[in-house]
Amino acid sequence: MSEESKRITQRPVPLSRIMVNEQTAKVYEDALETKKRGERIAWSTAIYVQEICETLGVPVLYPENHSAALAAKHYGEDLIQYAEGNMRYPMNICSYARINFAFADKLKDPNYEWPSPAMPLPDLLLLANNSCVQLTKWYQNLSDTLGVPAFFIDMLYNFTEEKASAYKVKYIRTQIEEAITALEAFIGRKFDWDKFSEIQKRSALNNKLFKEIIALNVHKPAPLNGFDLFNYMAPMVICRGKESTTDILLQLKKEVEENIKNNTSTYPVDQEHRVFWEGIACWPCMRHNLKTLRNLGINAVTNGYVTAWDINYEPTNLDGMAAAYNFASTNSKSTPTVARLRSDLIKKFGCKGMICHVNKSCKVMDFHVFGGRDLIQKYTGVPIVNFDGDQGDSRSYSEAQFETRIQGLAEIMKQNKEGNHA
Amino acid sequence: MRSVNAIIQELDRIVSHPRVMLEKYLGKGKKVVGCFPIYIPEELVHAGGMIPMGIWGGQVSPAIAGKYSPTFTCSIMRSCMEFGLTGKYQGLSCVLLSVLCDTFRGTSQSWRIGVKDIPIIPFIQPQNRESKAAKEYLIAEYRSVRNRLEEITGCKITDHALSKSIEVYNRHNQTMREFAEVANEHLDVVSAKNRHAVMKSSHFMEKAEHTGIVQELIAGLKALPVCEWKGKKVILTGITAEPNELLDIFTANKIAVVGDDLAQESRQFRTDIPDGDNPMERLTDQWFLRKGCSLVFESHRCRGDMLINQLKENNADGIVVCLMKFCDIEEYEYPIIAQQIEDAGYPTLCIEIDQSTQDNEQSRTKIQSFTEMINDRRP
Amino acid sequence: MFTVGIDIGSTTCKSVIINDGSIIVGRAIVPFGTGTIGPKRVYQSVLDSCGLSRDDIERTLVTGYGRFTFDDADNQKSEMSCHAKGVNFIIPSARTIIDIGGQDAKALRINPNGMLEDFVMNDKCAAGTGKFLDVMAGILNVKVADLGIISEHSQVEVSISNTCTVFAESEVISKLSMNVAIEDIIAGIHRSVAKKVAALVYRNGIVKDVAMSGGVALNKGVVGAMRKELKTDILVHEDCQLAGALGAALFAWEEAVKANRCSQTQKNNE
Repeated sequence: MSEESKRITQRPVPLSRIMVNEQTAKVYEDALETKKRGERIAWSTAIYVQEICETLGVPVLYPENHSAALAAKHYGEDLIQYAEGNMRYPMNICSYARINFAFADKLKDPNYEWPSPAMPLPDLLLLANNSCVQLTKWYQNLSDTLGVPAFFIDMLYNFTEEKASAYKVKYIRTQIEEAITALEAFIGRKFDWDKFSEIQKRSALNNKLFKEIIALNVHKPAPLNGFDLFNYMAPMVICRGKESTTDILLQLKKEVEENIKNNTSTYPVDQEHRVFWEGIACWPCMRHNLKTLRNLGINAVTNGYVTAWDINYEPTNLDGMAAAYNFASTNSKSTPTVARLRSDLIKKFGCKGMICHVNKSCKVMDFHVFGGRDLIQKYTGVPIVNFDGDQGDSRSYSEAQFETRIQGLAEIMKQNKEGNHA
Repeated sequence: MRSVNAIIQELDRIVSHPRVMLEKYLGKGKKVVGCFPIYIPEELVHAGGMIPMGIWGGQVSPAIAGKYSPTFTCSIMRSCMEFGLTGKYQGLSCVLLSVLCDTFRGTSQSWRIGVKDIPIIPFIQPQNRESKAAKEYLIAEYRSVRNRLEEITGCKITDHALSKSIEVYNRHNQTMREFAEVANEHLDVVSAKNRHAVMKSSHFMEKAEHTGIVQELIAGLKALPVCEWKGKKVILTGITAEPNELLDIFTANKIAVVGDDLAQESRQFRTDIPDGDNPMERLTDQWFLRKGCSLVFESHRCRGDMLINQLKENNADGIVVCLMKFCDIEEYEYPIIAQQIEDAGYPTLCIEIDQSTQDNEQSRTKIQSFTEMINDRRP
Repeated sequence: MFTVGIDIGSTTCKSVIINDGSIIVGRAIVPFGTGTIGPKRVYQSVLDSCGLSRDDIERTLVTGYGRFTFDDADNQKSEMSCHAKGVNFIIPSARTIIDIGGQDAKALRINPNGMLEDFVMNDKCAAGTGKFLDVMAGILNVKVADLGIISEHSQVEVSISNTCTVFAESEVISKLSMNVAIEDIIAGIHRSVAKKVAALVYRNGIVKDVAMSGGVALNKGVVGAMRKELKTDILVHEDCQLAGALGAALFAWEEAVKANRCSQTQKNNE
């Protein structure tokens, strides 16, 4: 232990990280304040058309992000037990949902000592099912049990590699328009189309910056510990259309470029292997993930999850916006599409292996992992290892299994490396 | 006229050996199209002069499906993959799959990648049925399914034929609903297993043919004396209630099934296709009339109320939730529905349905205990 | 009038003889489950324990996992109803019963007359069952019966987070290789079982008093962990392991009385 701590020098927390934490805290505080004033706040799925409520000035909180935060802080276990016990939810549904159901139920008790971050109950729900169909059921249940309306934008799974046909785009675009009208009426504020297009532009800028930062990790050694990206996703999930996000990303970009210039990295030890990480983080077990990878000198330089908010469209073009949202999530794409995208990234980032999180809570992703394996291996030739886990439920994760599999992967990558040199 | 038992036996045989029906239709030179659960516009297939045949997996412990489907996904879909990968579905011209849940999303891909010899036509019905754009979208989506079907099979689907097929399906729906009613007068003959055989066999037969047999059965039942059922009565809800060994446990405990809300059974027959001029529009309109199903989004969920009504109308003692293991859609809905029913004063029992195991011991204990409990409660 | 109840579990057979539905006169437990010589042997042992012979027995009722394969009984009933009845006899104040068996864990809610009001059982999974404890005891190389006593010496309970038995197995092995004290690991195992079972109990709603029955109730470690998880006291009777068999014997007696009354009425009518 002491040897290890000698090797890893404690770095000061970078300014960008402090800014992220402050921004997140402010989002929750604002919502709480708004609620106290008697105004309305929303809960939203992670890839909803956030530009709408940003334009209307309605504070929006994201249960997926909130459940992840609670899970990372190990508050998940008790809430999961409450959802499965008192509320009768089966253990096989998404752990984010189980955590959220329990949290929402406990919030009804005024004496509930809520864990931080404090997320007040919503007055409305924003539902887009591009990430998965489970979200539809999750929000349907919230709407039923909390008695608040859900503003639903139904997205369509892209089962082939073709672009969505015009009639599909029209269905989604019309729903965006309907959501705007319905929210205008519900909130009682006029929708400002000029502000909307400003926010669209701001979102596009943030999106572009985030992509640029991710791309900087192609450098060798990688300037960022790839797992840092999970933490920097918060602004993209919860504040995609805000100026404060631009500030954070500019600061982060500066720091990363600085690292490149100085040949330094936030990855604390020598980077023996570069790998690609597939799937959401195992939030409650991230520390163990990191430690295991670090002990073997593995940096997961990039991952598939951070690309999920890559929503590209021309501002003011509603059709483009509809199409972009419909194609945003990994889970809305076909397996060959995902396999192709991942393979391109693996090559671009010089990854020599792939670690896939078989996440019990995220079935569509798991189908990609299973069905896409041969394709990715064919395109890239890198070794791929799967491990069992969950984004929010630590009970589905086995430390021993993770260690053994990652070690196996490291051994193969080492062999491949030596083979190439010989 | 055949005896009631002979008819039921025939239907049970079909349910146990659907492959025989597939061979029979292929032998007659018919094209057969596989229909995944749950809502497929089969009328399009029928109008093309083809046979739509349900594919609902089967009791199998998958050996190779695990390459594509994680163990914690729905066992129906895993069995379907297993059968697809091992050639059990050979002879199907193509399969139709409506992407109504995450496992359907995944299966639409696994099938494309793994089962190369049977093309798949995936499509999606709109969940936001309140949007004014939903209907236009679904017409276009069904039209594209129709075009793909024609391309793959070479069979022409005309509006005229479609109108005729719609009548065949509506007639079949009405017949099945009539059967469910008449069956309740003859619970001594129509056991849980027998009821299931009549319901499920519809997935493996041309619908007009099935209508004929069920009408013959109804006539046969009506000729029998009405049975005063002495045991308990339940309503089943869920995706499926299988296999027969499980249903026999109900009978062994003197429990009759007097109604169901199973996706494989009554949810198939309870919504007719409405009248109208344009058959594609009519087919589309049916989607907007579906109610009380976990797979169809409702801003005001009415499944609980529908079940409570069913309990009252049939003078039943309780609801048995047949929870398909790893079916997240049903798993989300279970706590809400169960609470609603219990609040209305009826007991619920939850049993697990899993195609990958033959083990019914836990269900046996649960059903027996449930029976003992309701016997105590309402002697 | 003597009646017999036999509870054929997956790993143990239990039997009780009662006299006139009010006094326990014979008890037997044999460490063999269904599909073995257990059922026959327990029947003989229980007779031997009070010096009765089969001819003295009015009626026999069987329950438990092996209830369908035992031919010598007059009737069978599910273990839920039998545990409800049995616990009601030994702990009349109990309204919630937790029974952790070899295959299944159950939470029962009963009314003051010992009738079953509601019940929940575990998912088809070994977590939170006696089987889980068996597997863990095997890895730790201790007797299942000793788990409770050993865990009493625990200083720092470790967390065994996995619900999956296979995963928990590797978790326990890795704790062992890290030299974590065995009593602390066992305390963690008990807590893990308790968590899983507590979820079932919450599903049913807790109505006091809460009692535990079944063999696992003899394990003080699990009972203690259950108390912590449920934040309530749990009553355990010394005959807790026999509760199912006792309930069966009581049902046998009720049935015998009913049958006698019927034949009496018939005779009177003749």
